[in-house]
Amino acid sequence: MDDPRAQEIVGQAARLFSSNSSIATVKMQVSNEDGQRNLTMKIWSLGEKVLVRIDGPQDQAGTAILKVGRDIWYYLPKTRRTVKLPTSMTMTPWMGSAFTIDDLVKESFLTRDYSIATSFEGKRRGVAVYEYTLTPKPEAVVVWGKIVLQIRQVNQMPAWQGYYDEDGKLVRELTFADYKKMGARLIPTHLVMRVADKPGEQTTVVYEDISFDVPIGAETFSLPNLTQ
Amino acid sequence: MSTQLLQLAWRNLWRNPRRTFITMAAIALGYAMLMFVACLMAGLRWQMIENGTRLVLSQIQVHAPGYYPNRSIQKTIGGQKGTDVGALLTAIGADSRVYASAPRVYGYGLVNSGHRSAGVELLGVVPHQEPKVTVLNTQIVKGNYLSDRVPMGVVVGDKLASTIGVQLGSQIVLLTQAADGSMGNDLYSIVGVFHTGLDALDRSVVLMSLSSLQKLLNLAPGRIHEVGIRLDQIADASAEAAALQARLAKTPPVQVMDWEELVPELSDYVQFNRSITFVLFFIFFLLAVIGIMNTMLMAVFERTRELGMLMALGMRPFQVIGLILAEAAALAGASLVLGAAIGAPLLWYLQVHGLDLGGATGEVVSLAGVVVGHLWYGRQDFPAYYEAAAGLAVTALVSAFYPAWRAAHFRPTEAIRKV
Repeated sequence: MDDPRAQEIVGQAARLFSSNSSIATVKMQVSNEDGQRNLTMKIWSLGEKVLVRIDGPQDQAGTAILKVGRDIWYYLPKTRRTVKLPTSMTMTPWMGSAFTIDDLVKESFLTRDYSIATSFEGKRRGVAVYEYTLTPKPEAVVVWGKIVLQIRQVNQMPAWQGYYDEDGKLVRELTFADYKKMGARLIPTHLVMRVADKPGEQTTVVYEDISFDVPIGAETFSLPNLTQ
Repeated sequence: MSTQLLQLAWRNLWRNPRRTFITMAAIALGYAMLMFVACLMAGLRWQMIENGTRLVLSQIQVHAPGYYPNRSIQKTIGGQKGTDVGALLTAIGADSRVYASAPRVYGYGLVNSGHRSAGVELLGVVPHQEPKVTVLNTQIVKGNYLSDRVPMGVVVGDKLASTIGVQLGSQIVLLTQAADGSMGNDLYSIVGVFHTGLDALDRSVVLMSLSSLQKLLNLAPGRIHEVGIRLDQIADASAEAAALQARLAKTPPVQVMDWEELVPELSDYVQFNRSITFVLFFIFFLLAVIGIMNTMLMAVFERTRELGMLMALGMRPFQVIGLILAEAAALAGASLVLGAAIGAPLLWYLQVHGLDLGGATGEVVSLAGVVVGHLWYGRQDFPAYYEAAAGLAVTALVSAFYPAWRAAHFRPTEAIRKV
């Protein structure tokens, strides 16, 4: 029952940030019940490899995270140590944010793993959108019970994405804004993630700069480079 | 029951001293054994509660409302609301039943030795206060306990130390998600290694000073997760918890819990242990019934002629029943006195010297998940001793009733002809 048009639009939205390689400068604001923090970071990605380097605030500057496949290493400048996370800890929220590293760089498999149905067309929060409900295909190994994606009719950019558990309860929601041309693509540069059962917590990611399909040497994603 | 009857019963008992002695010995030894078992079981219960509360838990804990059981690191006492943790500690310490109290901070994180990592629980305590509440400081097998003078020193369990391959003096990195979500990390050195015999502690606890952990977790100095309290008498725990709850509830709002609420499985175990003691008592009482009934039946049948004579002389059946029961009661009473005399030194020995389980090896021995050390000490459980005594007395009377009833139905004319 997949309709080709929905497939195409969702696929486009899912591939917005994906490319062979990318370099991005990102501002992240993490709020929880204890207050908020602002981080600036640079993110390199090449295939399955990701390198994140924190530039600020001062006390975190130099902290670097390398992800190769399922393995994650942290470089901690304060102690000048590189620490490999046990695999059991790689799924924990990243830098206290509601995002995972994968959320920022990994190519999404929405069209591969989910069946897509158009569930609504019209105005949501004053914006004309197409709303698609994505349910996992029987053979897909995914964590979500369903995903609802709203795409702006005007520029076919994502506006809102809700992640639901198996019981149909909203777990987290991602809101998109500030659509800009960056790295020769039109992308939403302002992303806000909220976790449903933690009302005080939200993470805002703002892309300051991103370039796609730029040449990056494989040595960028090596442990020696982590400590630079 | 008249004194005459008792006198008669007592005299009757000693007409066949050997039989009486054997029965008395059986009951007395049984009583001593019951006390012995009760004493050991009470020792096990006490040890379990001690292990459960004195190593790290403490008898009463005070938390911010909502902290327990999810232990979110942001849910601290003090901090944002400008509350005074010092005043809270003073208020707790002012209570006459409180022996000592100490503030604590908890965190979860990753310990890394350079080449190996492990997930651990971080426990921050005040080095000069915590030992008054809990006794983890007495379990140090290498190096020293924490000290206020070595803020970056940490103490780890022996199993954790071997898992990540560190020794005394090794440097480790602790990595954690701080209260504000940032990556708290710093370098520490191992100043001590403890061994408790409890896997959960030996394998996954890093003990450090409260102020260091607050720094690592990015918590302001006034923010703590818990106040641990030790009382003079652990038996007061639930009453004192309720009293503190009522007295401290105002500012800052706190939740006070005693160890039975904190570790329900521990109080379940205590209940279970009591049930087992009761079952042992019951089995012994059943055996005692058979023994006493046998003795009394023999005593009755041997004296058929004599009892028939008494009835012929005008003793009424209920008086015969009274006589036999009085004999049983006297027998039981004397046996219990003898049993107490045999048992007392045993109980004293158990409490003072303990039962040696591990021999000379000095190995830590655990029973039913309770670390008892190689010496299993008893605790005096007087209520159980009284219950055992009362139970045995009732058992003696019940088991004498059938022989007594038989005797009351003798026909005097037939009975006096029996040889």
